[in-house]
Amino acid sequence: MAQRAVWLISHEPGTPVCGTVKFSRRYPTVEKRARVFNGTSYMPIPEDGPFLRALLFELRLSDDDKDFVERRDSCSHINKTSVYGLPVGGGELWPVVAFLKNGMIYASVPLVEQTLSPRPPLISISGISQGFELLFGVQDFLYLGQKNDAELNTKLSQLPDLLLQTCPFGTLLDTNLQNSLDNTNFASVTQPQKQPAWKAGTYKGKPQISISITEKVKSMQYDKRDVADMWQVIGAVTCKCDLEGIMPSVTISLSLPTNGSPLQDILVHPCVTSLDSAILTSSSIDAMADSAFSGPYKFPFTPPLESFNLCYYTSQVPVPPILGFYQMQEEEVQLKITVNLKLHESVKNNFEFCEAHIPFYNRGPVTHVEYKVSFGQLEVFREKSLLVWTIGQKFPKSMEITLSGTVTFEAKNHEKQTFDQICIGGTAYVKLHFKILDYTLTGCYADQHSVQVFASGKPKISTHRKLISSDYYIWNSKAPAPVAYRSLLL
Amino acid sequence: MGPLSREAWAQRLGALRASPSAFMAGPEGESLGRDLLSDLRSDKLTEQTKVSLLALSLEFPAQLWPDASAAEAAATSLLDTLVLLSPRPSALRRPLLLAATTALVAGGALGPTSGASGRLLPLLLGLAAGRDLGPGFGPVSEQRPLQATACECLRELESCQPGLLGGCLGLLRGLLGREGPVQPLSLLVALVLRNILVAQARAGASLRGLLTAGDPPTGDGPCPWDWTLAEEGDIHLQPQAPSWLAAEEGEHGLAALEPSPEEARELRATVAQLLDASYLLTPVAQAQLLWLLGWGLRGLRGQPPTLFKPQLVRLLSTAQLTLLHAVVALKAAFGEALFTAQDEALLLHRLTMAAQHPALPPPTHLFYLHCLLSFPENWPLGPVGEETTPLLLGPRLCQGLLPSLLHDPMALLARLHLLCLLCAEDQEEEEEKGQAESLQHYLEELLAGLQRRAALAGGPRASATLCFQASYLVAHCLAGQPAVLTPLIQGLARLYQARPALAPHFVDLLDRVGPELGEPLRVVLWQEVVSETGRDVALRWHLQMLAKVADGGAQSVTLRFLQAAASYCTDWGLQQALLGVCRTLLRARGGGGLADLLQALAGQLEDPDGRDHARLYYLLLANLSGPKLAMALGPSLAAPALASSLVAENQGFAAALTVQEAPASLRLSVGPRRVEGPSPVLELQVEALQPLYSLELRFRVEGQLYEPLGAVHVPCLCPGRPARPLLLPLQPRRPAPTRLGVRALYTTPTGLTCHAQLPPLPVNFADLFLPFPQPPEGAGPGFFEELWATCLPEGAESRVWCPLGPQGLETLVSHHLKPFVVAAQPPASYCVAIRLPPASRLLLRLGVAQADGVSVALRTDDWAVLPLAGDYLRGLSAAA
Repeated sequence: MAQRAVWLISHEPGTPVCGTVKFSRRYPTVEKRARVFNGTSYMPIPEDGPFLRALLFELRLSDDDKDFVERRDSCSHINKTSVYGLPVGGGELWPVVAFLKNGMIYASVPLVEQTLSPRPPLISISGISQGFELLFGVQDFLYLGQKNDAELNTKLSQLPDLLLQTCPFGTLLDTNLQNSLDNTNFASVTQPQKQPAWKAGTYKGKPQISISITEKVKSMQYDKRDVADMWQVIGAVTCKCDLEGIMPSVTISLSLPTNGSPLQDILVHPCVTSLDSAILTSSSIDAMADSAFSGPYKFPFTPPLESFNLCYYTSQVPVPPILGFYQMQEEEVQLKITVNLKLHESVKNNFEFCEAHIPFYNRGPVTHVEYKVSFGQLEVFREKSLLVWTIGQKFPKSMEITLSGTVTFEAKNHEKQTFDQICIGGTAYVKLHFKILDYTLTGCYADQHSVQVFASGKPKISTHRKLISSDYYIWNSKAPAPVAYRSLLL
Repeated sequence: MGPLSREAWAQRLGALRASPSAFMAGPEGESLGRDLLSDLRSDKLTEQTKVSLLALSLEFPAQLWPDASAAEAAATSLLDTLVLLSPRPSALRRPLLLAATTALVAGGALGPTSGASGRLLPLLLGLAAGRDLGPGFGPVSEQRPLQATACECLRELESCQPGLLGGCLGLLRGLLGREGPVQPLSLLVALVLRNILVAQARAGASLRGLLTAGDPPTGDGPCPWDWTLAEEGDIHLQPQAPSWLAAEEGEHGLAALEPSPEEARELRATVAQLLDASYLLTPVAQAQLLWLLGWGLRGLRGQPPTLFKPQLVRLLSTAQLTLLHAVVALKAAFGEALFTAQDEALLLHRLTMAAQHPALPPPTHLFYLHCLLSFPENWPLGPVGEETTPLLLGPRLCQGLLPSLLHDPMALLARLHLLCLLCAEDQEEEEEKGQAESLQHYLEELLAGLQRRAALAGGPRASATLCFQASYLVAHCLAGQPAVLTPLIQGLARLYQARPALAPHFVDLLDRVGPELGEPLRVVLWQEVVSETGRDVALRWHLQMLAKVADGGAQSVTLRFLQAAASYCTDWGLQQALLGVCRTLLRARGGGGLADLLQALAGQLEDPDGRDHARLYYLLLANLSGPKLAMALGPSLAAPALASSLVAENQGFAAALTVQEAPASLRLSVGPRRVEGPSPVLELQVEALQPLYSLELRFRVEGQLYEPLGAVHVPCLCPGRPARPLLLPLQPRRPAPTRLGVRALYTTPTGLTCHAQLPPLPVNFADLFLPFPQPPEGAGPGFFEELWATCLPEGAESRVWCPLGPQGLETLVSHHLKPFVVAAQPPASYCVAIRLPPASRLLLRLGVAQADGVSVALRTDDWAVLPLAGDYLRGLSAAA
């Protein structure tokens, strides 16, 4: 369950080594156990320098991938999880849990309590999931609410102390590092009643509860006879409960209007104490499953101090909010494009913003555009080979808008232009970006009156809703497009 | 030296952290541990600096205090520092406890005889129990964090020394019910309990009321620490969560433990108490508790795992990786006893959903996918330890887990593996058949997409690598499905056509896949290459490819291509690549066409190295028979796999032309003695352990007592076939025994020339004996007397008692001395004259045999021979 060592490495492409170790921590008592457990297959933790080089190479993050290198490029060198074996000091260091996020590489080496040869399956090593959680915890601490580099550096400098609190001997005690930071600032709690370990102290002040539902909608639209369009709603319910007492109890109910789409794939925060089995079994993966349950979805819990995600869900709404098609064809030296978008009548026609981005990959900079829009404005980013169609706050009465035009390009410059692996040849897309406030696509809402609170004082309850687009693609119907298996079923 | 400043310390810590080995080897390395301990008590440093010093000691104790005595001293000093702190609040108490614990454990000093251990343990237990240890341990507000830290220290000690706290279990459990930090205590109790259960199960003992609360140990009472396990060394160290497969084997050991009803009740109450409070723990700590309890109780009779059941719904509903992983671990531990078929299906549903839930990060998706394919099923059908799709996870449930081109490489490969597994399943029913076809079609489209992507000029190497990894995975999982392989092969051929620069990837793929894909792909690629003109910029890649795919068949086509290409091979690299193909053809027994080409190359190539190689290959082709040629060119089996196939081939070729050090493949011994000829001759028996060719034995005389010896040659030796004895004439410079160093040089059937050192051969004193020319009939006694007389005065005379065994004098003489007897009157007397090359003689006069021996008078003209002769005579009876 323990970790032998943890690293934070910033990825710096273009520099000689391509990275710097920003933080590292070793656990010698765990290392002592590793030596015994691993026996002859034991491989000591290398120093930071060799580890950095080996990891960057394995993750393909060192700049040098010009030549075929068997150790990295061989077809049988297949990694299917974020757990790696690194060649160091004539042997192999395994398992190394590692991933890259926001230019930072998070890595740890979990203790394996047996011999490493043959390698035991990852599923049987408790330290793997613990390692991931530790790294996710560090990532959350560094990036949640972080605005600039100075802030990041401050947080990096706090890490050694925080890990001394949350992971003193390599066995993780809490993933919420912010919690322990607050812990040191909180006055000690001496109440006889049991205090949850995930709650640093108690709140003092005016009781209030804030609930916000954010739905993201993603879509893949093809406008093809043999390929089905796909769309999905992903919801997240975020809560902040400022309530007095050690263990205040709250129940939040999510409700749907009569024609609302049922919530599926519900994942709850660990502070939720119990769950209706209908909520647990409502799932999108079993298309045959009867998902007649349409709420209300009750979540009883004891809130932590900080803002937290009470639950995540997905939902399959009957139609995508904006249905469109995109036709792009190469005509001699220019591209001829047509984009059509139609807002569904059931959707609230009041956007905070709505834009369609039309990128052109693997081509040179845009030299000339001739276009006609039925609504909104078109902006041309020549160097980026990008058109942005700003639709604004409202679709017109007809709910349908069109863009057509021709685009010409300069010759491609390999050095400057970024390479895209998807948009090869005629394969191209329009990506929609929009946001609608005080609205959810599923209709899901948290009724203020249904919130039950067992704590002193009547809290003020506020609720918020919004819908935003995420990975909302409309593919060129005149060329092949990447499809998921489900799209082919119809 | 006074204490260092804050800046100086910061600099030192930075340097140490950057490279501990370099720092410790430097001038400041040695005193670092000492300085650190003394500066912890300095008034000049801030607490923050001191905390960073302690943090360093937590990470590098082995560098600071490299042995047990230093670690013991360090721990003692740290404990002293702790006691000496003023009663004010201080940030140092926690890290000091951690540092003392780390120093003891990491330094190997923890033990019953260690004074620091004897101080630390009661201190930790006192703190954990919330006892008032006096004002030295800070204000009340600091007690709670210290209590938690003490529990963590105890947990680490128990982890590294299982069973250590067994005697304190009752006390700790008692604390659990009272006030105190619930998480550290719960985890500590769970660990101690589990270690006891494992140890008891092994010893077949009972819990002996360990669970009932005991009195807190005091200084005067009996020692509560159990060092018994500690004395056995590290072998008892128990995995806190053993590998499932290993656990299967050891299951019987645990199942033997059957607690009494009373103990079982007590145990159940403890576990229930821990589980009931588990909600108060952080998710990661809950997971640790579940792993510990699950694997501690597994196989324990009378402990139904239903205790865990109330927790499961809560755990299954979360998105926490550690919690779901712990549930899977419980599933592995208890199987059907805790999870009915419906529960199993629900767990699989949740895992499948979590493996694609858009709200979770990608590394989590991949881990859940791994969990699905390694899922501990109630009734597994497939082989253990291999990734398979669980029975309850049909293609329908997996739809959302199939790969698409939009996935990143790792997700794509993981999902592709799942797709391959689904395609590989037997489809019996009509509906399933249709599904299988659509899956196969989807796979085909996906591979085609990957190939298109890899074919893009200027694309990153990662996209090419991904395409070949996918091809390998498909070939590996679906080797028996031509419907999948055929389009794959065609696609790969198109890929080569579009981007020959991927040749190294193709060579690598051909090296690793089985014949189902490898053979047809080889043929297609060969056709692809030879249909080129040999004139284009990709010639380098074509040649590299051809060196892999060319074979004996249709050699004329290959040769035509090479002939055309030769004139464009203007630089060394291209010429070597061209010769690489020739080497492949040589190995495949190239015919006359190849000889012509090589001869032409030997004249035509610009680079002298290229010309030389061509000439060498021509000579090899002209002079060696097929199998020998293959051996001479074949890669050495002993050579490790190297990065490029070109280098590997070179290596094989070089191996064939250089001498390899090898363990001896033959045995050599000295045979019966020969006494003919003008000089002593050793008869050697050779026994081969494998067929050996062109064996050459080289000898070296120790002490240069003889003239240098010539080498002995044997054309061929086969094991089991009797070999002619080898005769080795010796030319002693002095008549003395010695040893011969022997080295063997030979060629093995694989064509390698080997060199081996053999054990030395002894040359005994008697091996040097030569007879005098036989005197005429009847002249023997006179001849002997004449020799006898001429030995003195320069020589020496002696008398030796030669013991006789049961065989008697006559047998002894006939066995050992017969060729040298010049006059005899058996059994009364024997006169023996021995010539010792180069120019010595030894004369023996054996008298009448007594009961147990015979008196031998001896004379020699060489003083130095006398002791050797004495030893020889005294050893005769034993040698008989």
